[in-house]
Amino acid sequence: MNGRIGLLSNNWKISLYLLPAIAITLLLVGYGTWSAVAQSFQTIDGEWTIAAYAELFSSDAFFHSLKLTFRVAILSTLLSLVIGLVMTRLLYQLFKDSTWKLLVWIPMLIPHFVAGYLVFLFLSQSGLLSSLLYQIGALENRANFPVLVQEEFGIGIILTYVWKEVPFVILMLLPVYYEIDHRYSEVVRTLGGSNWDAFRTVELPWLLPVLIETSVILVAFVASAFEIPYLLGVTRPEMLPVRAYEWFYNGDWSKRPLAFSAMILPGVIALLLATLSIGAVQKHRLRMIKGRSR
Amino acid sequence: MRLFLKGLGKRELATSFMLILFIILFILPFITIGLKSVSVGWRWPALLPNGLSLDAWRSIMKDPKLIESLVTTFKVAFLVVLLNILLAIPAARALSHYTFKGKSIIEGLLLSPILIPGILLAMGLQFTMIQFGIADKMIGVVFVHLIPTLPYAIRVMRAGYERMGSSLYEQASVLGAGLFTRFFTIALPLLLPSIRSLMLLTFVISLGQYALTAIIGGGTVITLPMLYYPYFSSSNDAVIAGFSILFALLPLLFIGFVEVMMRLVIRAVNRV
Repeated sequence: MNGRIGLLSNNWKISLYLLPAIAITLLLVGYGTWSAVAQSFQTIDGEWTIAAYAELFSSDAFFHSLKLTFRVAILSTLLSLVIGLVMTRLLYQLFKDSTWKLLVWIPMLIPHFVAGYLVFLFLSQSGLLSSLLYQIGALENRANFPVLVQEEFGIGIILTYVWKEVPFVILMLLPVYYEIDHRYSEVVRTLGGSNWDAFRTVELPWLLPVLIETSVILVAFVASAFEIPYLLGVTRPEMLPVRAYEWFYNGDWSKRPLAFSAMILPGVIALLLATLSIGAVQKHRLRMIKGRSR
Repeated sequence: MRLFLKGLGKRELATSFMLILFIILFILPFITIGLKSVSVGWRWPALLPNGLSLDAWRSIMKDPKLIESLVTTFKVAFLVVLLNILLAIPAARALSHYTFKGKSIIEGLLLSPILIPGILLAMGLQFTMIQFGIADKMIGVVFVHLIPTLPYAIRVMRAGYERMGSSLYEQASVLGAGLFTRFFTIALPLLLPSIRSLMLLTFVISLGQYALTAIIGGGTVITLPMLYYPYFSSSNDAVIAGFSILFALLPLLFIGFVEVMMRLVIRAVNRV
């Protein structure tokens, strides 16, 4: 299509198109990260030191927070993926219709903290589920209702994330489901394979890249989001973003290096996870392309 | 044949079960908080409110801080959406229609704002923003709101460009249409659904930011979430419910507004 002159101008065009977005991203992420790392290694007087890290790694509270943060992140991601996948699989025909697809968009419309309020409204000890159980006689007293929000394991936080991310997972998976040639599933069934076989051999290869991308986004998001744990968490142990925010804001500036170093570790873990899994997907994609004789 | 029908029935049963579950889980809560916001004295263990009243809405609407923050929120979100459109459309065009050296690195870089903790970036940027005088101002808040929105905006637009393909574009360019004619007569109409999704998504994400706004806004840029948290610890359930409904209504209001504006512009353009 493009002549020889076209090629040269194409390179210019690509750079011009990408430049604004790249510049902004470099400024926000590149400079932001550098500045955060630098400040984690400095005292407020500007002296270089590893005191903040030494203090973090010697405190049990930090490791409790780290454990809680990643437990919540991984559990809510896995649950959202499984539920989202099952719902997409059963409902994708229905969601082709744009009026039904609006249903999926509705939960996406509200901010996370409002979802947190919903979980509180329905699942707290004096919530609506507890009322319902009392009315049908399954519960004698609201104190008998299990503590699901504002407790140490983070159940309320996990449930909020699952509620909010299942529609996100569905919206990520739907385009893939429309792309899959479902006649292959018929072939698997005709040859005597089960539903599971059809899923594993036909759908999974298509889904895997998106599933991994989605899970990386979700783990990174949950591990660093402040809004829900601030609303539904307890003070001991706190999730890391809340701890970091409080170090950053409350009290004196001498705690600021701690705030930075406390968020750098989950950042590094999330980044490693992303690089590893995206590398794995690249390999898988290459194999898929080679396997096809188009 | 009988076996086939039986199999079909089972699948349809599962589908309708899933649909009902979906509606109970994701739609019923909205109806509940809607009801809650106009209720009085709905306490444990009642399943339905004792009475109805608009008191909560009245006290929400009377709060002068709320009206002010509503305006701030809209201004911030509007600018965030606009910047996202301007940045994402050209970037998505380059990523969807061209292959070039180092493309995967660029893709990784553009995705990085949602992989690196936003709260860390905001904390890191704060001191510099103070030095440049844009912290504690709306422009600084708009700027950090690009962190959680831009990667999604690019993604949505890229999918739109990929669906569109390049054949129509090439036809137009063969027929001698310039860059702007091609964009406004072919790309824009075909990309409208993606642009709508982009606007809704980035508006909603901007609307939901508490930590980033608090860190950069420093308590002087008061968006709605800044008020929501204090409300949450107050005791009036109906008021919190009303406030929550407000958060769900704003994106709809925004998209309605955008839709009307777009129709007007299109009509004006057609007349010319």
